[in-house]
Amino acid sequence: MINSIRAELIKMRTMPGVWVTFGLAFPLAVLVILGVLAGAGGFPGHTFYFVQTLRQRRELLGAGYFGIEVLAPIMGVLCVTGEYRHKTITTTLVLTPVRTRVLAAKVAVTALWSVFLVLLTLVAVAVVALPWNAALGGVTSGVTDQVGAVVPGLLASAILLGLFGLGFGTLVKNQVAAILLTIGGTLILESLLVALVKAILHYNLNWLPTAAGAALAGDIARGFGGGGGGMREGVRLLTWWQGGLVMLLWGLVPLTIGYYTTFRRDVT
Amino acid sequence: MTAGAPTRGRPLEFSGISKHFGPVLAVDDLSFTVEPGRVTGFLGPNGSGKTTTLRMLLGLVHPSAGTATIGGRNYWDLDNPSSTVGAVLEATSFHPARRARTHLVMAARAGGHDDARADEVLELVGLTGDAKRKVGGFSMGMRQRLELATALIGDPDVLILDEPSNGLDPQGIAWLRDFMRYLAGEGRTVLVSSHLLSEMAQTIDDAVIVSFGQLKAQGTLEQITSNLTGVVMRARTPEADRLCGVLTGAHVAFRRLSHDEVAMDGVTPEQVGPLLATNQIVLYELTQEGADLESVFLSLTAGLGFGDVAAHE
Repeated sequence: MINSIRAELIKMRTMPGVWVTFGLAFPLAVLVILGVLAGAGGFPGHTFYFVQTLRQRRELLGAGYFGIEVLAPIMGVLCVTGEYRHKTITTTLVLTPVRTRVLAAKVAVTALWSVFLVLLTLVAVAVVALPWNAALGGVTSGVTDQVGAVVPGLLASAILLGLFGLGFGTLVKNQVAAILLTIGGTLILESLLVALVKAILHYNLNWLPTAAGAALAGDIARGFGGGGGGMREGVRLLTWWQGGLVMLLWGLVPLTIGYYTTFRRDVT
Repeated sequence: MTAGAPTRGRPLEFSGISKHFGPVLAVDDLSFTVEPGRVTGFLGPNGSGKTTTLRMLLGLVHPSAGTATIGGRNYWDLDNPSSTVGAVLEATSFHPARRARTHLVMAARAGGHDDARADEVLELVGLTGDAKRKVGGFSMGMRQRLELATALIGDPDVLILDEPSNGLDPQGIAWLRDFMRYLAGEGRTVLVSSHLLSEMAQTIDDAVIVSFGQLKAQGTLEQITSNLTGVVMRARTPEADRLCGVLTGAHVAFRRLSHDEVAMDGVTPEQVGPLLATNQIVLYELTQEGADLESVFLSLTAGLGFGDVAAHE
């Protein structure tokens, strides 16, 4: 198992698409940082303000969630669909013929890279948000005090979103289709569904992937989550543990179905 | 086994193996054994089930019936698969953005081998100078060499090669031939599928010939060709076109050698003579020749695949 994980780590490290997700995570985090600082309010005549409320401080710390909500699933998709796109699945399965072991290694590596993604966004907070907030007059410790409240949810959410992408990729196999469906699903379709169901049926559609992920992530995802964004406002999210459980199902169910319907099939 | 060769290989045993792809029967109750210390050619026309059979051995394709084992064990049950079997299946299974050495380090780690093994196999296949190049820029021949290097990463006892000379230049083919002989000389099991018959005839000790997924012949090269000695008839005639038509109608495998020469496979003078007389075909010459691998192949596969052979030679 360790051997398979070591091999999968090299594959992820040498996949350009993975670095594109990393390249996008940082500027997207900075974008949210600007949004939080601009929306902080309280000083007329100024464009940016230091954060004051508890929610603003947490949003600043969890600025990376906006990107993670889309990029972590894409990374999961890349981890498995790249094998089919470049036909490397043949070599992979010849080197490791036990397919469940290959899939388990991919789960582990996607989780690890999702953690890296979170760490990268925290770097953006450290090098952009905190100095800027301090320069505007904010107290840095007011933000860093919230690490315990924000980062665990951020990490758990990123890992499970990555697992969701991996499961989805196992099910769909076609890389382009899987990525487009992931982006369309998280950014557009889910937002529209949540808003429409809320408006027409007055029902909280809070168990779809990004809404469940947002519940797990907590306050930081309410205003700036990529999948929910403004449309998530007014929708009552699940509790964090309910969200975690639902996200786990969103990862494991497609992964299991994908294993039995595609991953276990003949490689011709 | 080659005299004096150490016995580090393992026998491959295919037992009643079949594979259906929907209504298509790709492999039909195939049974044969491949012995260590020998180079065994797995020969058949395109679409005869060679690749499917090899993939069933490696667990990539699930058999509809039967078994294929390595030293009596399924591939996926082996303790260390890459140290037991190395496989060259297709020269396109690389990520184009990955460097050659990185690809091999990945393979080494997947098999639990030392990273340094990547450099050793790169040197073995003559790609040391290209180690840091991305595979996307490799020629087909270089990809084949890299695929071979991947197969050798675990220094395996068994080597499975599916059309390994595709894309190789003449020097590469000669090098591959010597390499296969060298590996078999070390006692390893080498099973190589190909439709390049003239090339195979210079390389293999044993042959397994399949057609339409069925076993047509198995044995040493000498056994297979001697069984059919005398069944190749060569005719020189001004009516070669008409002769070809007659042979097609009589379901006789043949090759057009020139504008006035036709070789007929798998037939005796007693069969050909009356056929020509009945159709009143003028002959300048009718000779009986010893069979070679190509003649045997064509007689056993009813001429299927000759076009493929000609196109690649």
